[in-house]
Amino acid sequence: MSPRKTEGSRNLFRAIATDIHFWIPFAVLVAGLFLLDKLR
Amino acid sequence: MPAAAPAGSSTHASRLRSLQALGIFCGFAAGAWLGGAEAPIKLVNPDISPITISLIMVCGVFLARWSVPALIRGTSHVRNDVRQAPHLVVWAVLAGCMWAVANTLTIYAIRNVGLSIAFPLWNTNSLLGIFWGFLLFNELRHAGWKRWLGVLGGAVCMFGGATVLAIASSHQAEPGKATLGIFAALGAGILWGTMYIPYRKAYLTGMNPLSFITFFTVGELATMTMLAIAYRGATPLWHELVSARAVLFWLMLGGFVWVLGDLFQQYATKYVGISRGIPLSNTNQLWGLLWGVLVFHELRGGSQTVYAQVAGGSLLMALGAVAIALSSATEREHSSWQDAADREGQRYGVEDEYVRAGMEGREMATAPTPAQEAEGRSSGSSPQTRTLLDWLLILGTTALFVLLALMAKLPHMDIALGWAVALTVAMLALLATCGIALWRTTRFR
Repeated sequence: MSPRKTEGSRNLFRAIATDIHFWIPFAVLVAGLFLLDKLR
Repeated sequence: MPAAAPAGSSTHASRLRSLQALGIFCGFAAGAWLGGAEAPIKLVNPDISPITISLIMVCGVFLARWSVPALIRGTSHVRNDVRQAPHLVVWAVLAGCMWAVANTLTIYAIRNVGLSIAFPLWNTNSLLGIFWGFLLFNELRHAGWKRWLGVLGGAVCMFGGATVLAIASSHQAEPGKATLGIFAALGAGILWGTMYIPYRKAYLTGMNPLSFITFFTVGELATMTMLAIAYRGATPLWHELVSARAVLFWLMLGGFVWVLGDLFQQYATKYVGISRGIPLSNTNQLWGLLWGVLVFHELRGGSQTVYAQVAGGSLLMALGAVAIALSSATEREHSSWQDAADREGQRYGVEDEYVRAGMEGREMATAPTPAQEAEGRSSGSSPQTRTLLDWLLILGTTALFVLLALMAKLPHMDIALGWAVALTVAMLALLATCGIALWRTTRFR
């Protein structure tokens, strides 16, 4: 992988990891899986 | 030809009005097809476990989510979208995982508290959708109190109507484990309501719904397969799938029909936002009721109270849908959406023209190549080409459905065929008119 591509991937990862639009659905998904586990 | 980039403000305003009307039409078409998806499932023997039913449906959904985009625009468009906004693949898969968990929760909710309590609880997803749309994507900003009243009042009205309908049409489940059932139903509503965050994010950024759903379904199928194996065990699950071969066709057909409804829902979300698109597609409950009452005689012998509840609930839902349909976004509100879209574009380095073209439902206006210049052509629209992969997807899916149809058996049920034909014709008419409107206005962009 070229240095420019690596840097681009890193920037993309950072943008996603600091995006509240990612963490809200992710947290809800984890809570949903937890609830499902309790219901079994 | 697809609309070019709008030149003047009056052209722009007229284009926005067309897209708003199209989005509302898509919302109603979504309701019809999502509701109609329940019909093939009613033909299935209740002995099969709900998790296995969900898994088989999701297999049909997976095939439809790849073959329908291949038929409409070709998968090369999917590759183009991913090249422009690769980060959205993460949100599509995430949304698919959420859908599968929510769908499984509804099974537990129905089992523990019955449909009459469970359905209205998870139907709160549209209210949560309005909240996320306002908070995260500038929906209903500068909308004025009349539009607020129309959207919020309409959603509450539909919620009330859904509650009455669910009470009227329910066959109450055995009591017990009520608290867990209520948590399951609320959990499903929260998961579905929050699932619209990825939807809106993708469409504000300019992604085509036909591309989004191809990755959405990867999360959907992977999560559903894992849940089914974890809950049933691999070997018992396999035996159940083999013994259910006579009904595989009906379940997968239900999944296929559901995808067509969901596709309209995605376009509604794209062009009118989640605050309006989701409540409109929740009219699926009315269509589900029509199939149940007219085709499967579900309320036969019911009391006058039940019929009054059905009439009142349906009227309330229809009024709510009309209120929302009449509260389309103003130009000022739309410019707030544009701000949210610009923010997304800047954050992820997405080309400005891609974002704007997506929001305006047109192809990207890119600089013409030397060959195009020599021929005097613009590059405003990309050719509708299909690759070998597209044809393999289309023919493979068709062949599989034909094979399953040959193995399928129609159960001995009292079905009103006349009504089934009438409702199918109505759904096909909506599919054709809405499909043509989407093609003419946006070329399925």
